[in-house]
Amino acid sequence: MSKFDVAIAGGGPGGAYAAKTAAEQGLKTVFLERARKAGEKNASGCGLGQRWWKDFPDEMEEIVKLPSYRETHHCVFKITDEEDNLVTTLSTGFTRKDNERIVHKGVPRGMSGTAVYRSCLDPFLVDLACKAGAELRTSTCVTDVVKKNGRVTGLRTDKGEKIEADIVIGADGAHSTVAVKSGIRKRFRKNEITLVPQVDFSCNESRLEDVIGGANLVWFGPYCGAYQVNFRDGFHLGLGQWLDIWDTKPTDFIKRILQIPAFQAMCRSVDAEIREFQNHLLPWMPHPPKTYADGVLLVGDAGGFPCPLEGEGVWHACMTGKIAAQVAAKAISEGDPSEATLREYEQRWKEPPLGREYEFGQEYVNFWRNSAFNPELMKKLVLFIGELQYLNFPGPVFDWSDDHMTIFNEHLGHFLDVLPDLSGFAKENLVPLGKGISMENRARIADMLTGSIQAKLRGFVPRWPIRALLGKVLGVK
Amino acid sequence: MPSKQTQSNDLTQWKVKDFVFRVDGADPGDFISYDEGKCDSCGNCAMVCAPGLWTVPKGKKARLAPKYRELCMECAACYAVCEADAIYFRYPNGGAGIIIKHG
Repeated sequence: MSKFDVAIAGGGPGGAYAAKTAAEQGLKTVFLERARKAGEKNASGCGLGQRWWKDFPDEMEEIVKLPSYRETHHCVFKITDEEDNLVTTLSTGFTRKDNERIVHKGVPRGMSGTAVYRSCLDPFLVDLACKAGAELRTSTCVTDVVKKNGRVTGLRTDKGEKIEADIVIGADGAHSTVAVKSGIRKRFRKNEITLVPQVDFSCNESRLEDVIGGANLVWFGPYCGAYQVNFRDGFHLGLGQWLDIWDTKPTDFIKRILQIPAFQAMCRSVDAEIREFQNHLLPWMPHPPKTYADGVLLVGDAGGFPCPLEGEGVWHACMTGKIAAQVAAKAISEGDPSEATLREYEQRWKEPPLGREYEFGQEYVNFWRNSAFNPELMKKLVLFIGELQYLNFPGPVFDWSDDHMTIFNEHLGHFLDVLPDLSGFAKENLVPLGKGISMENRARIADMLTGSIQAKLRGFVPRWPIRALLGKVLGVK
Repeated sequence: MPSKQTQSNDLTQWKVKDFVFRVDGADPGDFISYDEGKCDSCGNCAMVCAPGLWTVPKGKKARLAPKYRELCMECAACYAVCEADAIYFRYPNGGAGIIIKHG
């Protein structure tokens, strides 16, 4: 049996990008996919962030040609109350300055998000790996790792094969066989993993273009948030919740959104029909646990890499796949795939830009657990957002139920009525959020803000009084 | 012709099995194992299973539908929530099981 330099479990984005990078470094590489073809068993949101244009520009030039591709520029929040009434709609904005933050071949891409089905994206990435010289084996499920003197030296498959390699990369998802069998970690705990039911809709492409255009939607109310990612001629409606606080049937949870009249109206307006129901686990934790051991590295979901703020994971999978393969190539060239050498992997992924995702990981997770995933808080928040929106400029002008100053005064009164409720929610929910920010991160925030304020006031104010003031506000030296 | 309207029934009355696809004629194997002796009847497996393959009658042990191989969505949530370690999930045999067409 021929021995490989690198054997990779999984043919999703992490596995494919690791295989591509390893093959490009001249390593004899094999990657194993349990489906009959790439992208046949994968579900995710699947929106890709603007930074793809910065970090994977060559791939993006091809991704825009994939059949399900849609470019997205902004996010529209549909806020509904307990009775499913649409209270208000909020939207993210578009600024030219931000758009110019990433420029690819003269085209500003800083606000270009990407939506593409995994059944399009995964085969494309796998094809890149195969063209680079990696060997793909489909319909092959990894059942165990091979170990010799405590070191992982290969993979076992459901076909009874033993595939030996100098280094094994686990890119086999949230329920990673490689992670558990190699002893790096146990299965993710219930507060480290979310269950994500998702409905895929078909719809009329030109109507979607006319009615929704370059937006993704978020349905937000006292049931937690649900995302709507729009593709060329279809969309995903999905939501997630940590397993330790999961308290209803996945289908009942998602039907909670599907019953909202405004959602149903949107479906009618684009001729949407349910096409598929999907269900998957998504790791969601403050920062990845241990990601390496003797002879083995974990990438993507298997390593616990999805963003702790918005759950994006494909970029993280490709980034870690690339770093893992580079570290593997170095270790193999030095003839030492031991744990001590592979520690470099963790050092590398902790560097910016990837490592910065987890600096505030605990705070991001606290934020969600104390806000959107708490229905009682959301009831009050929706009321608050409604009143606050009313007091915005156009509200009082278009309320003709009485003379304008009386109406404005009444709404101000409603707003003040909600405030005591909100101060309760602030005390119960927001203050702990602030207290949950570690001293280390308070210092980081103070330093970061000091830097940006001082840059604007250069020559007028020295650094130290700004930093001292911010330190005082944030309760840190 | 009357205009085609998506009625609320269409969006809320559908059944999971009508919108889940799988490879025909391939044997997924016995990919869930269950040790009834360890079950503490907590009911979490039944709560998280979208196709409803686990049932936990009050005060009794959990039961896995005999036809789970043909209906499971392979999310592994039952395994993830079972703190009594009564449920073990491995992926089905390569090339078998669920297909996700628009994931």
